[in-house]
Amino acid sequence: MINFLIVLFIISLIYLAKVEMVKSYFTLMALQGVLLFGLAYFELKEIDLIHLIFILLETLVFKAIFVPLFLQRVTKNRIHRHHNVPIKGYYSVLITSAIVIGCFMISYEIHDELNVDADHQVKYFTAAISSILVGLFIAINNRDLVTHLISYLVIENGIFLLSLALGAEMPMFVNSAILLDIFTSVLIMGIFFNKMKDYFQNADSGQLSQLKD
Amino acid sequence: MIYLFFILTAAAAILTYFIRVRAFSHAMVFLYIGLMIVMAVNLWPQAGQILNEYFYSDRLGLIFYFILIIVSLFSAIHYVKFVEDRNVKVSDVALHNAGTIFFTGAIVGVLFTSHFGILWAFMEATTLGASVLIYHNRNQDALEATWKYLYVCSIGIAIAFAGVLFLGFAAQQAGHVNFSFTAIKAEASHLNTVWLKACFLLIVTGFSVKMGLVPLFNVDIDAKDASPSQVGASLSSVLMNAGFIAIYRFYEAFSGTSILPWMNKLLMIVGLLSLFFAAVYVLRVKNVKRMFAYSSMEHASLVMIAFSCGGLGYFAAILHLVMHSLVKSSLFFQVSQMHRIFSSKLDENIGSYLRVNPLGGLVMLLGFLSIIAMPPSGMLISELYMFQALISKNYWWVALIVLLLVLIIIYGLAVKMLGIIFLKKNTASINMQGATPYESIMQLVLIVIVFYIGLFRPDFIVDTILIAIQTLPA
Repeated sequence: MINFLIVLFIISLIYLAKVEMVKSYFTLMALQGVLLFGLAYFELKEIDLIHLIFILLETLVFKAIFVPLFLQRVTKNRIHRHHNVPIKGYYSVLITSAIVIGCFMISYEIHDELNVDADHQVKYFTAAISSILVGLFIAINNRDLVTHLISYLVIENGIFLLSLALGAEMPMFVNSAILLDIFTSVLIMGIFFNKMKDYFQNADSGQLSQLKD
Repeated sequence: MIYLFFILTAAAAILTYFIRVRAFSHAMVFLYIGLMIVMAVNLWPQAGQILNEYFYSDRLGLIFYFILIIVSLFSAIHYVKFVEDRNVKVSDVALHNAGTIFFTGAIVGVLFTSHFGILWAFMEATTLGASVLIYHNRNQDALEATWKYLYVCSIGIAIAFAGVLFLGFAAQQAGHVNFSFTAIKAEASHLNTVWLKACFLLIVTGFSVKMGLVPLFNVDIDAKDASPSQVGASLSSVLMNAGFIAIYRFYEAFSGTSILPWMNKLLMIVGLLSLFFAAVYVLRVKNVKRMFAYSSMEHASLVMIAFSCGGLGYFAAILHLVMHSLVKSSLFFQVSQMHRIFSSKLDENIGSYLRVNPLGGLVMLLGFLSIIAMPPSGMLISELYMFQALISKNYWWVALIVLLLVLIIIYGLAVKMLGIIFLKKNTASINMQGATPYESIMQLVLIVIVFYIGLFRPDFIVDTILIAIQTLPA
């Protein structure tokens, strides 16, 4: 089951690179939230109940429901399609696939180097590092501010996966940290996003060039 | 005591946000600084001791804590004038003062925590506090700078968190996961060095945004430009110190392992690259605040280069940070006054400053001499120590590159600063009511302290730094 969920997560990453409708980003974020919920449940079901409930609530309520709805509300459906993408369509899918394959090879290599015990850590590593790099790729390849927010969430999802590779060692610390990170950053960036729209005609980072030497 | 301090910080920040009378709002910040002084009195006798499970009264933390109190106090005084001058809306004053308390409290947490996880959480909190402060002017520039700062800092903090997780992997392999500094330091020599290297690399990358170093320095420059000058002063001094101490904690914990030379090389590369970028940008910059921001980047680079040499370099780096914090704060404070007089922050619109505002001009002149490490500035001493450390390690080529880049920066700064201070220019309008001697005198005090440190090297400072770095390899 864990394998299946990880593969689905990686497919969602590749699909993210192809998406053009901003609304689809929110759907994909919700899907990733549900997948992380499943992974957290299967990986951590042996930890004590209160911690497990906290983590499951974080993934399901916060990542899968609250954040996508919040972002949808912030954009108020005014932004439908992102534009000015330097690397378009299938090329970005190819690059994302290359990132995933590269991450798998690196994870497999370091498996021996680092004496990582469990095989499933390699899978988590592949998905986690892929997610972080795909997040960075999306941030670089898009100029829409809302897509930048999405890229940040993809990076955070990668870090959540990385924490799952640690298993049940310190779930509360890691998840409290991720919750704090996303909660504060997304909420505050969401608030600023609204203010940006008052100043700028569209939410394009290309317009953020007033400050220069 | 320290838990009570954080509870009072949170309470003060919330209360200040709801106070809608300017005088009371300012009073809350001064009361908070009073509380910080009380805590300093409480912490100093316990220097070097563990306070509880998550905090300790570290000497290096105490040094930067004293700087934090001084800069916060001066910043608060300057902000009162700033509000009066610009007639800032009371709601904006309330938010700014609440943000100041929150930001300062977060930095105190960074300075005194003894746990890597808590350190990371407080660094995250500094981002939020700083964002509120940067957004103060509510204009397009402030919005742009705040958005960029929030976004890039969030990415940086996330990268740093990945570094903490890598440390977790290393600790997990060794059989236990405890993120306290002492536990990690005790176990570090048994931990897998690949994980430790990955951890340190990500930590330096993530926290580079706080210190204003390569790779995430851009947003730091924009933030210092678009925010009020007293905020720029805090970002250039206390936040830079917090960024340094965060990197220092990891360095110290891993310093007993075989990756020490690798860490030193990494810090040297980061320092050299940052110095190179500072030199390139300082030549083309026209905005005085950005010029000082790049100067801060130069000094952060010098700190990293000195630190990477070890031995005497450790001492030079910390001494340099102490003096830089005082001088750069005073220069940023003075820019605020200059802006009031000339209604511009572009060097082409500001001239004959020494004649127009003699005290302010004197601050600019002495501050400029200090940041280029001219005698009697104390920064000359720390830079000499840095070169001594480089040469003692046989890094001749590094010393030559640093010398060349520093000369370029001095040239870039001199062309603009001497023009501002002495050269007569076609300034559009001069508002002499903007000159406030009491502000300039406070700024002179900060610069004189740096001269005093340079000339007399007081035992109190030297001994405290030497004891603080005793835990590092000789």
